[in-house]
Amino acid sequence: MSSLQQREAAGGPQRELAVGASAHRRSKAQLLRALWISKSGRAGLILVSLVVLGALVSVAGLSPHNPQAQSTSQVLKGPSLNHLLGTDQFGRDIFSLILEAMGVSLEIACIATLIAGVLGTLGGIAAGYLGGFASTVILRAADVIFAIPAILLALAIVAALGPGIMNSALAIGIGYIPIFVRVVRAPVLSLRSADFVGAARVLGFSRSRVLLHHILPNVYGVVAVQVSLALAWGILAEASLSFLGLGPPPPTASLGEMVYSATSLSGIAWWTLAGPSAAIVLAVLGFNLLGDGFRDATDPRTRRS
Amino acid sequence: MLVAIARRLLSTLITLFGVAVVIFVILRLLPGNAITASLGVSAGLLSHAQITQLDHFYGIGESPVSQFTSWLGATLTGNLGVSLSSQKPVAGMIAQALPVTLELGIMALAIGVLLGVFFGVAGALRPGHIGDLAGQALALVGLAVPSFVLGTALVTFMSSTFHYFPSSESYAGLFANTWLNLQQIFFPACVLGVGIAAAIMRTTRAAVLEINTQNFVRTARGKGVSERAVVWRHLLLNALVPIVTMSGIQLGYLLGGTVIIEEIFVLPGLGRMLVTAINNRDFPVVQSVTMLFAAGFVVINMLTDVFSAVIDPRSKDR
Repeated sequence: MSSLQQREAAGGPQRELAVGASAHRRSKAQLLRALWISKSGRAGLILVSLVVLGALVSVAGLSPHNPQAQSTSQVLKGPSLNHLLGTDQFGRDIFSLILEAMGVSLEIACIATLIAGVLGTLGGIAAGYLGGFASTVILRAADVIFAIPAILLALAIVAALGPGIMNSALAIGIGYIPIFVRVVRAPVLSLRSADFVGAARVLGFSRSRVLLHHILPNVYGVVAVQVSLALAWGILAEASLSFLGLGPPPPTASLGEMVYSATSLSGIAWWTLAGPSAAIVLAVLGFNLLGDGFRDATDPRTRRS
Repeated sequence: MLVAIARRLLSTLITLFGVAVVIFVILRLLPGNAITASLGVSAGLLSHAQITQLDHFYGIGESPVSQFTSWLGATLTGNLGVSLSSQKPVAGMIAQALPVTLELGIMALAIGVLLGVFFGVAGALRPGHIGDLAGQALALVGLAVPSFVLGTALVTFMSSTFHYFPSSESYAGLFANTWLNLQQIFFPACVLGVGIAAAIMRTTRAAVLEINTQNFVRTARGKGVSERAVVWRHLLLNALVPIVTMSGIQLGYLLGGTVIIEEIFVLPGLGRMLVTAINNRDFPVVQSVTMLFAAGFVVINMLTDVFSAVIDPRSKDR
C-alpha cells in the first residue's frame, strides 16, 4: 500500500497504474467499517470475537475450572453458578472443556484454511493468468478433488495418515483447495485484460511482480470471503471427524467427541449435549455470517450505497 | 449440442480417472499392508515362506503402476475385491447397502428441494413477509447446524420425550416392512433435507427475484395471466436451470452427510459401511465405496449439466 501511495504521489505513468490497482482496495479501518455496517458482518464479528476470546481464555489457563480435572462427587451435575454448563460423566466442567475444545478446533480450522487458502489462491491466480496448458492441468486437478465429497476425502486422508491435529488439518484443508481455485480464477481472468495490468506489463515489470503486486491485491476481497467460509467449514468438518472417532486422540478435547459421548447420556443429562452443540453452531454461524459480511463489504454489486 | 455433451462426457471420464488415482494414492499411504490388515498382530507369527506366498497372493511388492492398473481393470469389470475383515466380496456388500443409501438420499433430496423451492419462491414473491422470514430462519438452521448435531438432538428428543425411536428396531427393508422402513428413513432424511434446503432456497430466491423483474413477467401479469400460472410457467420454469444445478452440487454434501447420519440412525447403508471399514483398515471396502460416492457425484453433476442444456432452448445456439 505504502509503495503504491508513493508512486501515486510521484505521478507519471505509474499514477494511473496505482489508481487501477487500488480501485477495489480500501484501508483496514474502512473495511472494518463496511463490515460493521452490514448486518451479517456485525453479527459475525461479534460471534467470532466471542469464540476466539473463549479459546484464548482457555489457552491462557483462565477457564473457571481445569477442563481435565475429574471429580467423582460432581458427576453429571446440571448447570449451576459453579458449573455454568454442568458437568460430564467424569465430573469435568463442560464450559471449561468447551473452551479448550474450541481452541483445538480453531487451531485445526486455521491450519486447514491456511493450506487451502495459500495453495488454492496460488493455483487460481496461475490458472487465471497463465492460461493454456497450466490452467487446464490446475482446473482438472481441482475438479478431481472437488469430485470426492469433502468429508469423505477428509475421512480417507485421516484414515491413511492416522489421527492428530496436523493430519486433521491437512485432511480438511485439501478438500477446500478447489473452491479457492475457482473463486480466485474468475476475477483474475478479467483482471488479466484490465488496463492497469496491461500498463504494468508494458512498463516491463516481471510476471511475478505483476502477479503479486497488481493481481493479488485485487483478489483479497474474494479471498477474505472464502477464508471466513473455509474456517466455518473447518470447524464443522473437524467436529464431524471427531464425532466419528477420527479426531485428535484423547485427552485432546474436541467438540465432536463431546457431542458423540453425549448421545448416550443426553436422555438423563441434556446439558451434556446442549453445551457442545451450541458451541459448534455459534462458531459455524459466526464464521458464515462473517463471510457474508465480507461479501457485502467488498463486492460492489451487493454493497449498500 | 451433441458435441458439447460428448465433450462433457469425455471430461467426466478424465475426472473419474483422476479420482481413481487420488484414492489409490491416499490408500497406499495407509500404514501396514494387506497381510497386517487381515491378520493383525498374528502377522508377526508368519514364517518367511508364508509371507512370500502371501505377498505374491496380494500382489505386494509389484510396482505401484501395475497395482493400479490391475485394481482399475478389476474394478471396471465389477470385481471389487474381498473385504479384509469379513472376507465377503465387496461387490455383494455394496449391493446390500446401496439401496438403503439411495432411498435415504432420494428422500432427503426430495425434502430438500420441496422445502427449498417452496420457501425460495414464497420469499422472493413477498420479501420480508412471514414466509420469507421462516425460510431465512430455516436456511440459517440448515447452514449453521451440522447434520450430526441436528441428528443427535432429534434422536435424543424423540426417544427421551416421546419414547419413539424407530431405528432402535433392526433395519427393515423397504419391501419387507414398508411402514417401519419409511419411519426409519424419514427422520434421517429430514435432517439431511434441511441441510440442502438452505442452499436450494437461497438459489431459488435469488433466481426468482431476478426473473420477477423482467419484462415478460410483467407482460404476463399485465395481460391477466393468473398468478398461479405466472409462478409455475414463467418464474419456476425459468428458475429451473439454477435450481437443478444447485441440487446437483448439493448432492455432494448429501453423499458426505449420509456417512454421519447413517451412523447416528443406525442404518446399514454405504456410509456406515465406510466408517466401519475405515476403523477396521479394510481398504478394499474404503477404496470401492469412496470411488462409488465420487463416481455418483460426478455422473449426477454431468447429468444435471446435460439436463440444463436440454431444457434451456438458448443453449441450442451454442
